[in-house]
Amino acid sequence: MKLLPRLPDELPQEARELLERRAARLRDKPRTTEEESVLWAAEFPVGEDSYALPLETLRAAVPLKMVTPVPLSPPHVIGILRFQGQILTALSLSSLLGGRGWREDPAVLLVVDPGLGGRLLALDCERIPKPVPLPHALVEEARARSTGAVAEVTLPGLHQVNLLDLRRLMDRRASEKRDA
Amino acid sequence: MLDPMMEQLLPGFLDECKEIAERVTEHLIELEKAHDQARFDDLARGLHTLKGSAATLGLSELSELAHRMEDVVLPLRGKNVALPGAMTDALLKTLDVWMAHLRATTAKSELPELKPSHKLLEGVRQAVLAVDAGKPAANNGKSPANSEKQKDKEKERSKPASEKKSAKKEREARAAAEPEPAPADPAAEEDALQGEEAGSWRVRTREVVSLLHEVERLREVRLRLEERRRELERALSQLARLGILAQTAEVRALLMGVQRALHADGEEAGDIVASMEDELKAICTLPVRTVLEPLRRSVRDLCKQSGKHARLSIVGGEVSLDRRVLETLRAPLVHLVRNAVDHGLELPDLREARGKHREGIIVVRVEQQGNMLFIEVSDDGNGLDLALIRQAARDLSIVPGAELDAMTPAQLHQLIFRNGFSTRRTVTAVSGRGVGMDVVRSQIQALQGHIEVHSTPGQGTRFTLTLPAELGSSPVLVVRCGEHELGIPMAAVETSLLARTGELRVARTRVQLSHREQLITTQDLGALLGLRQPEVPHDGQPLLVLQSQGRRIALAVDEVIGDRELVIRPLPPEVRDLSAYQGAATLARGELVLIVRPDWLSGFEKRDAALTGTRRALVVDDSLTARALHRTALESAGYSVHTASSGRQALEQLRHSSYDVMVSDIGMDEMDGYELTQQARRQTELEMMPIILVSARDSDADRERGASSGADGFLSKKDCASGRLIAEVRSCIARRQGTG
Repeated sequence: MKLLPRLPDELPQEARELLERRAARLRDKPRTTEEESVLWAAEFPVGEDSYALPLETLRAAVPLKMVTPVPLSPPHVIGILRFQGQILTALSLSSLLGGRGWREDPAVLLVVDPGLGGRLLALDCERIPKPVPLPHALVEEARARSTGAVAEVTLPGLHQVNLLDLRRLMDRRASEKRDA
Repeated sequence: MLDPMMEQLLPGFLDECKEIAERVTEHLIELEKAHDQARFDDLARGLHTLKGSAATLGLSELSELAHRMEDVVLPLRGKNVALPGAMTDALLKTLDVWMAHLRATTAKSELPELKPSHKLLEGVRQAVLAVDAGKPAANNGKSPANSEKQKDKEKERSKPASEKKSAKKEREARAAAEPEPAPADPAAEEDALQGEEAGSWRVRTREVVSLLHEVERLREVRLRLEERRRELERALSQLARLGILAQTAEVRALLMGVQRALHADGEEAGDIVASMEDELKAICTLPVRTVLEPLRRSVRDLCKQSGKHARLSIVGGEVSLDRRVLETLRAPLVHLVRNAVDHGLELPDLREARGKHREGIIVVRVEQQGNMLFIEVSDDGNGLDLALIRQAARDLSIVPGAELDAMTPAQLHQLIFRNGFSTRRTVTAVSGRGVGMDVVRSQIQALQGHIEVHSTPGQGTRFTLTLPAELGSSPVLVVRCGEHELGIPMAAVETSLLARTGELRVARTRVQLSHREQLITTQDLGALLGLRQPEVPHDGQPLLVLQSQGRRIALAVDEVIGDRELVIRPLPPEVRDLSAYQGAATLARGELVLIVRPDWLSGFEKRDAALTGTRRALVVDDSLTARALHRTALESAGYSVHTASSGRQALEQLRHSSYDVMVSDIGMDEMDGYELTQQARRQTELEMMPIILVSARDSDADRERGASSGADGFLSKKDCASGRLIAEVRSCIARRQGTG
């Protein structure tokens, strides 16, 4: 048996008008304005706050295990670990950001590429991050306001996400070390 | 013509003979200096094995020659005498020919003549027999070649002057045509480096390195397997705790089967990884001694030529290095060692007159620190002669005169690396051509390294080569200190022993160990690494006697786990500045172990003073990140912080050290924070120590339970996040001081 489409004239006038309105809407060009383009980020909590990293910098999320503590290292260094044949440093993000705690003991390490010539780093994290789209316009606005490693992006509904610039964060740490 | 089946065995036999020949060479050189029965016996065994194995393979000519070598050596068995020099010469030369013949047989190339070797050995044997029979030796123990020379000389004396001149010219021409005596068996060294055995493959280095990375990844997969097994174990114990054993019996049996299989698979994967790594290491690296050992022969031969006495001492020859690096290093090392004999060491009489031992010492020391390789070639000779260097530079117009006069000793030392520079006026087989040190430097630079020279007039010269070494392994002693496993380079470990109270001298500020009639300062590894307060070693505690940069210390550790051959890799940049560590290495189970720098351990006094006068806090938490965060907060408030990852470990630390405050997590396995607090309070000396408990939960019941167990304060993680930790610590200390 072959199914045939119903002829338009078989439709009541009211339904026909509705369909035409919908078709017209679909025929309209999609709105690809700047405010709709987004930056995909990995969002995760640090203490009471919400932080995010550009998704492109995230290489892996691994369980916080097999980390070798490094005695005499700065307090923000959790230890060293092996990842795909490399030895990486695991850093406490909360400590790097000047925080003093979190709600749950971190169980995850995020392996990230901070843009330091391919060298990877691991950062602790309370939970596996979730991907969120951040409107580019809001990101740019926040970055313009920020002078440090964190850009405060305020999303509709006043939800605030602190977008991290890892390179700046590490540069800041390096300059603090030099000053010390 | 060899049996085809025997032919297949030749490459393996060649390998075996190389090892035996190396051993025989070493014994001959040492036995020439002094008799040593054990060495003599091993030398005889080596020659016998060469004879027997050659005969088994149908190599009758080689078997016969080895038999002749035995004939020369065995008459000296049981006699407490050193081997005569001529005999050692003859045996070493014959051994070179023996090996060359075997290599040629394996490669099916032209075979060297064996008759001259037979003749040489026979001459030596006759001389030895003559001495034994009490007759004056026909040639005073000299080789036939020497006795021929003696006859030539006698003939010469009887000739008229005109004939003498032409004969002299002829001798010079003959000498020029003769090749220089080989210092060692170069082909053997070459073989050791290039591994040109039949059936070998040429593989690009990049491919081998990429294979090494793959093995690393495989090791991580093996670790994940183990982790999955542990997760399964946890799930099974959860099921047991839920009290549904009967309902889940079938599932649990199945899961336990999977768990066992996972464990077996993990073990097998571990074995495969270890074996692959060993094989790859064998492919890519060789011990440095393969290059250094043949230098003993060079030194001996040069001493024979120059009338000097020298001993070559090799330290760190077991360090394995990338074959490519070794191949390039061979020529510079040969040159430096030959230079040390030729230019550095004085003649025995002069040394004696200067109050030195007649025998000079040349030391080659190899050390790998992280991904850097250090090689030192030093001698206790004359030192660089600055006046001679200045004069040679002036004569050769290398530097303008005025500039030369203003040069410091260090700048003058650098001139020896200039192309064409030599302080020798005449050219000898060893030196004087003005090529050498510049080539040495350029070869080291080609390896991205550099060379430095330090010299003290009358005391000696030291060349230090610094090179990057990506591959290669070093022997490391793995020890435990608290919960930390750490590695110490074996090169620095002199001995290990167990502490005995009677051998320790405990003073107010230091502990010393009486060891071999010396008092050695004792240090606690845990205290040096900031893990705990310094402790006096208890009876039976392992102590390591370390030597570094001329200083000795006794290092107290909690356990000596064992020695391992490890690849030391540099630490990542965030922690590379820590002077305590050379690098990190991966243990068989995949965990990283930090390698402690011995010179850091021996330079402890400054660091001791730094910690005095600060308040001390002990942080107990099974979460690495929690420990890091509490430490950040407390250190920023001026506390010196020690950490423990379990209640048991915390109690252990509290037994030996005192703290101004303890901050402990509640939710820990084995012993929770409440129990830890109760156990601490049972000890009189800990009654007054402020204890703050930290919990993920914040309920009145938890707070009450904390207070009843003896804690002074209670904080939720949320409280810590809002920065209340330091305020609480201060308030608890103040309260205790108020009541105390």
